[in-house]
This record gives sequence, structure tokens and C-alpha cells, in this order.
Amino acid sequence: MNIKQIAKAAGVSVATVSRVMNHPENVAPKTRDKILKIMEEEEYKPNWFAQGLNFNKTKTIGLVIPYMLNSMYMEIAKGVEDVAQQKGYITFMCNVEKDTEIEKNYIEQLLTRRVDGIILMFSSLDEKFIKSVEEQDVPVVLIGEDRCAKGFNTVKVDCRAGAEAIVSKLVENGHDSIGILYGNDPEQESLDMLEGYKNVLKNNDVKILDEYIKPVENTIEGGYLGAKKMMAGTPPRAIFTTSDEIAYGVMDAIKDCNFKVPEDIAVAGFGNARMSNLVEPKLTTVELPFHKMGVYGARLLFDLIEAEDKEDAKEKNIKGEPRQIILQSKLKIRKSCGHKERIGEMF
Amino acid sequence: MFKTNFLGLELDNPIIIAAGPWNRDGEGLKRSIAAGAGAVVTESIVSDTLLDVRPRIACDENGAQNIRLYSDIQIEGWEREMSIAKSKGGVVIASVSAHTPSELVYLASKLEKFGADAIEISVSNPMGEGLEVVASNADIVYEMTKEVVAAVKLPVMVKLSQNTTNISKVAKAVKAAGGSCVSAINAVRGILGVDIETAQPTLSTYGGISGEYIRPLGLASVATISQTVDIPICGIGGISSGRHAIEYMMMGASAVQVGTTVMLEGREAVGKIISEMEEWCKSHSIASVEEIRGKALENLKSFDEMKIEPAVSTVKSVPCTENCDKCTVACMYGAIKREADTVVADSNKCSGCGLCTFICPAKKLKLEW
Repeated sequence: MNIKQIAKAAGVSVATVSRVMNHPENVAPKTRDKILKIMEEEEYKPNWFAQGLNFNKTKTIGLVIPYMLNSMYMEIAKGVEDVAQQKGYITFMCNVEKDTEIEKNYIEQLLTRRVDGIILMFSSLDEKFIKSVEEQDVPVVLIGEDRCAKGFNTVKVDCRAGAEAIVSKLVENGHDSIGILYGNDPEQESLDMLEGYKNVLKNNDVKILDEYIKPVENTIEGGYLGAKKMMAGTPPRAIFTTSDEIAYGVMDAIKDCNFKVPEDIAVAGFGNARMSNLVEPKLTTVELPFHKMGVYGARLLFDLIEAEDKEDAKEKNIKGEPRQIILQSKLKIRKSCGHKERIGEMF
Repeated sequence: MFKTNFLGLELDNPIIIAAGPWNRDGEGLKRSIAAGAGAVVTESIVSDTLLDVRPRIACDENGAQNIRLYSDIQIEGWEREMSIAKSKGGVVIASVSAHTPSELVYLASKLEKFGADAIEISVSNPMGEGLEVVASNADIVYEMTKEVVAAVKLPVMVKLSQNTTNISKVAKAVKAAGGSCVSAINAVRGILGVDIETAQPTLSTYGGISGEYIRPLGLASVATISQTVDIPICGIGGISSGRHAIEYMMMGASAVQVGTTVMLEGREAVGKIISEMEEWCKSHSIASVEEIRGKALENLKSFDEMKIEPAVSTVKSVPCTENCDKCTVACMYGAIKREADTVVADSNKCSGCGLCTFICPAKKLKLEW
């Protein structure tokens, strides 16, 4: 059955059937249910490609991910997909392996496939490139900071504030020498956290030592190797890492060096990955709202896509000014940082 | 007789059904409206739904404790729920809860689009959000309120917490930020009890205490705000009768919210509260609630203004067959004695503390000068 036959069977116009598929909220519930019932009985499947031609919509979005094996990025992707699915959209996920050329290439591919919008996760593309995508009437939303691009619709977390909170906690716990292992991605966030770390140390008169500041790969192995290097000299009393993955590697290295966490060296991570509540001792970290970041990224994107559909001048305004959603991180105090007061773990 | 202009909205009466699981979706809200409430508040809508913990609600004879009650419907779904809620009319206030101003703005703008009549910002949740309740920080409340007020055309009410040292400062921040109203108070952080056989707290973590337990706290908070800030107040906390609602109004509330009572006694409780209020007002020839609003505030005195009269119990010998002897036991000054079927107060020993006048079930004792 095609759309005309469905319309005939329901005794309505083709336009009404089409509205049920595209803007069901604008169809009277009774009529809508009747049409949906017929569609179901007849196993009617709309031809999305033809729909794309008619409405200039393909009901697809692109999601560009820096590195698929990182669970934090996948949690964000799930947030995006949860909203996209509700909207009846398919999400193309592109893994760019932290490579700008691959990222550009994927975006070209997404554009030729006529996606209705693109979400860039922790992108490092420059402003000019992203603008050129928007100029093709394909809305773009950024999740995470892009150090080369400002002024776009963005969802981000103040990672510097999160790092300051957790490093302050380490200072408060009496650790007088604190090292940092900062990852190579997400780039801007890691650098922001490094700034936050230095700021807290400076304000608390804790010495900032070069041998206690090391860039590493954002992986368990990166953390392991970085910690080994740091412990080769006089080990610091505490180590802060810009991701939980790095922290797992650090804990492993500390154990291999016959030290104890947190008695000899306290550890604090960043992100609150699922495993952090399961490792021993449980990892003190900063919870990042990954799923929520994805959800909001998709929300901003669909607001833009839907605004294109509508004549409503107010709706169009959404396209005018780029919107920013800033989310909050939250300290998760557990045993690995040497914190003694149980109440700190409760809230 | 109870038509109330609240938040610039015309309400049939000043009794509002508060945010909570009973208002978790369109159908629930519709039922609350049908129960006769002047307005209804949605369960708090958040940015991203959370997994509910179980169990999460407990109660005893004096009230309830809950752990983190937020809507389990994403904002996208509230378009549908809001249209169901409003399908037969009624005033629906959307409660939103989030950690940053930009999130609150997003949620409030969407709910405005979906047809909400007003926004209630709920940043006073006593659990799961940090040892310090967000609503204890006037600066944060100011920022959040200001941004939401700038983003929506709807009236904005901010729900305050008693978990703060200076609720008046927070209410002032709401007014300065352009908020239309404050509601006070949210549930108060607490632990309902401990099972001493198993050493188990009633619920597995700290929660929000509501109901009877918190009415005195709510009354004091409403009075404090009334006396310091010129902003409409919606009183909340332990309201289960018409008298309680009138008490809040006499302390300056323009409207009140009922939550725990609806949870424990059903939505019919709202009808009962309204008819009790009507009856009282009729018997006191009061035509509108405006006549009673803030009436008890003038009787709240400073220590300087309190009477210095040396009032004492002057009961020489009052016949009493109650035999409860509560007064004799409770008199800390040894001034009350039972002599066969009479109670005798020694005005020389009486210091006028007043406890006996409250503890006597037959109200036979009184202070005089």
C-alpha cells in the first residue's frame, strides 16, 4: 500500500496522512489513531528516501566521535541516539580516530548523504570549516570544547571547575605533593584541567613541580606508564588524572611498585566511568554527565532542524544566536583519595 | 469565595497540589485538577531521567520521607503529557530542577512552549545533590532565577528550602532576579527513624521529610519571608486541613501547596481542605482570603514588645475528673497539685511558663494577671 491508498482507506487527504508521519502532534488524536491503525494493519512503511525528496529531510543525523573505544564517548553517543530514536531519526556514527583529516572526510560524506544535521563530539576542526557546513543549511552542534572554533551551538561541562574541586579535595586531605597525568584527549578539556590543577596548587602554596606534570595517552596504558615515570624519582603523595582510564593505569602501577592506594599515594580520576565504583579501592573522581551531554546535543540539533521546518518567526530566532548549554560536574568522593569522612561519600 | 489571583493567574481557590509522583504525568495532573485544586504542579522535570532507587518513600503517623523524586519522563515526552493534563482546562505549573542556569532555561522554555501556565524552579532538594542544599546559596538562586525569568514570558516561582541559615536572603535574591513568587518550604533533610533491632535507617539514605513534622518550620519560614520581602508566597509543609491552610495564610501566604496529604490520603483531601476553609470563613463572616492574609503577623512580637505582665495560673481549685494528671507531672515549678477531685495551682510557685495550658486536654488551666 502507498500513502494514497492509506489516505483513501482512512477517508482523509494525503496531506493528513503525511502530517501523521511528520507532525503527529498537529493531527486530532482520533484521526491520528485511525490512520496509525490502518498503517499498522497494512504494514505500511514510508519510503524515507522519497520523503527526503518531498520535505527535504532524510531523517538522518551524523554523529562524529573522536575515538570509539573510549567508553565515555560511547555514553555520550547513547544520549544522542536516545533522543534521535524518539524523533524517528537514524544516527550515522563516524569514528574519526582523533584525526582531523578523517574527521573532515567523514563530514563530506555525511553531507553527500544529505543528513539533516551533524553533531561533532570534542572536535578539533576550525571555525571556517564548521561555518562552511552550516552554510549548506545543515545545522551543527558541538559537544565539548573546540579550541579552534567559538560561537557555535555547544553543550559543554566546566572541566576546569571540576578539576579545581577535586584537587582542592586532595589538598584538604593533607596531601602536600600532588602530581597530574593529563591525557591527549579531549584536548581542550585536558588543558583546562591542567590549568585548574595549577591554580589550586598555587593558591594553597603547594609546589608546582615539572616532574609531577606529565602528558600521557588517554588510556589505561598511558596512565600506567606515566605513573611509573613519575614514581621513578620521589613519588608524589597524590596523583590526579584527567580521566578515569588513566587513573586505573596509575593504580595498577602503584601496586606494581609495592605502594598502597591511598595510604602511600592517593589517586583521583575524572569522569566517573562505570568501573570506578568497582575497582579497589573505589576511585574518587569527578562525575561528568556524559549521557546528558549527548541528550542535550541532540536536543539543540533537533531544535534547529525543526525550526527550519516552521514558518514561525519566533522559532526561526532559535537559529539566530548560538545556544550554549553548560552542564555541571560533580565530585564523587570514594576511598582512593584518602578521604576519611564517610559523609563526603553520601552526597 | 476563594477566587485567587496568584502569579497573575486566576485560580478558583488557593489550594495547589504540589510537585510529586501523584502529578507524574498528564493523567495524574488531570485527576488533580478534577479534584478541585486551584492549580497543580508537575513532578519535578529534570534534564535527564535517573534510575529510581527502591524503596524510596516511607511514612509514619507524623509524615513521610522520600529519596529523590523526579519525573521519569524526558522533556520530549512532556509535550504530550502537558496536552493531556490541560485537555479539560485547569492551571498547570511546571516544576523544573537542574544544576545550571542554561539547563533550567532549556527546560522552562520547552515547557512554556508545551503550554505550562507558570514555572516553579526547584533547587531545594535536600538529598543527592550535595551536602549543601543549592537553595541555601542566594547567589546561585539569583543566577538561576534571573536567566529563567529572562527566557520565558511565564511567571516564575522559586521553591525554597528550610535547609538554609537565612531564608529571607534567598527570597530577596529571587525578587531581585525578577521572580514572581517564592514557595516555601521544600521537604527538609532528615532520617525518619532507625529500626533498632536491625540497626537499619528507615530508608537507606538521607531524604526529604514532609508532612506534619515540618509544618512549624514551614510556618516560620513563610512568616520570615513575609516580614522581610515584598513577594507573594506559596506556603508548603504539612497542610492537611482547612485550618492549616488558614494558618499559612495568616502568616502571609497567598496560596498553599498540598503534597504529602494527597499522597497519603488521596486527592479527595483537597476537597476536604477547601470545604473546611469555606466553613470557617463563613462562620467568621469572611468574604475573601485577602481578609485573613498576614493577619497573624501583627501578633508576632519581638522580645521587647512582649507583655511584661506577671501572668500566673490563678486556678484556686478547679474540679477535675480527667485523672490524667498531666498538669501535675508537667509542672516543672511544682506549682500544681491534685486534691481529690480538684486541681489546685499555687500562684506563688507558678512562674507563668504556660505549659499546663497546652497540656491540659480539657483546657481547664489558664494564665491571668
